[in-house]
Amino acid sequence: MLLLTTRELMRRRMSLLQYASWLVLWLGLILLGTVPQFYITLLHITQALGMLTPIHFVTTFSILILFVATYILGKRIAELNEKVSTIAQHIALRDIGGKTQRSRQQEENPS
Amino acid sequence: MRIVCIIPAFNEEQTISQVVSEAIKHSDQVLVVDDGSQDRTAELSRKAGASVISHILRLGTGGALSTGFKAALEEGFQALVTIDGDGQHDPNEIPTVLNPILKDEADVVIGSRRLKKSGSTPLLKWIGNRALSIATSFASGTKITDSQSGFRAYRREVLEHAIHKAWDYRWASEILLLAAKANFRIKEVPITQIYLHKRHRGTDIKDGFKILYSTIKPPEKPEPSRESKT
Repeated sequence: MLLLTTRELMRRRMSLLQYASWLVLWLGLILLGTVPQFYITLLHITQALGMLTPIHFVTTFSILILFVATYILGKRIAELNEKVSTIAQHIALRDIGGKTQRSRQQEENPS
Repeated sequence: MRIVCIIPAFNEEQTISQVVSEAIKHSDQVLVVDDGSQDRTAELSRKAGASVISHILRLGTGGALSTGFKAALEEGFQALVTIDGDGQHDPNEIPTVLNPILKDEADVVIGSRRLKKSGSTPLLKWIGNRALSIATSFASGTKITDSQSGFRAYRREVLEHAIHKAWDYRWASEILLLAAKANFRIKEVPITQIYLHKRHRGTDIKDGFKILYSTIKPPEKPEPSRESKT
C-alpha cells in the first residue's frame, strides 16, 4: 500500500499533505507488524493519555479523524455541486444566447 | 409591457404541451427551462410554441427559475410570470396574477392557493405549507398565505435587484425575503389549486426543514442578476 500511495504521488494524483497522512498510517502499521516491542511503548503512551490499551486510543482517534474527514468531504461535495450547477446554468444561458444572436443575424441578413 | 411566461420543467411530457399552448395566449413569449429532462419535454415545448433552454443536468426548480430569470432579463422583458409545468396551475389565470403588476399595485404577485377554496390538500402538505408561510411572513414582515406557490409574477426591477441563490425548493421563500428586504411591494391573489394525486415530486419533510432554516437565516449576500453586474 505504501508503494501504491507513493506511485499516486509520483503520478500527481495525490497532494503532498494527503501523501504525508497516508505515509504516517502505513509506516505505523509496518512498525507495529515488524517491531512488536513498539506496542509496549505505545501502551505506556496511551496509558499516560488515560486510555487502557493502544487499541482504545486508535479507535477513539480514528473515529475523530473519520468525523473530520466526513465534514471536509461534505463541504467539498457541496462546493463542487455548486460549481457544477453554475457551469450547467452558464452552458444553458450561453447556448440560448448563441441561438438568439444567430437568429438576429439571420433576420438582419436573410441571404 | 413585454411579458414572458417562464415554465420550469422536469420530465413533464404529459402536460407541457397543454400548459405552453394555454400560457402563450397570455404572454408575449413562453420560455420553458428544461431541467435535464429524460423525456420529450423540450421537443414538445418547442412544438407547442415555446422557447426552450435546456440544462445538461438537473439543477432543481430554483436553478431552473434562476436560469429563466437571467435569460428573460437578457431579452428585455418587463414582467415575468412563473408557472409550473405539471399542470397544477391554470394558465388561464395568468392575467389574474399579472394584473396587480400591470396596474402598478405590486412588484411581486403570488398566486395563493389558500385564498380560494378549491380541491383538498393532504394534511401533511397543508401543515408544512402553513408553517413555511408563517415563517416567511414573520421574516419578511408581509402577510403571506402561500409562500411555496410557484405561480407568481414579478416586475423586472425585482429580479434586476437580486435573484435567489438556492437551486432547490428554497428559492420560493428566499426570493420573497430578498424582495421584502429591498422594500418591493408583495401582493397575493387567489388562484385555483389543482392538486395532482399522482404527483410524487414536490417538497418533502427534509425540504421543508431546509426552507425553514433558510427563512430563519437568509443568505447574507444575494446573487446579483446579470443585468446589475454590467
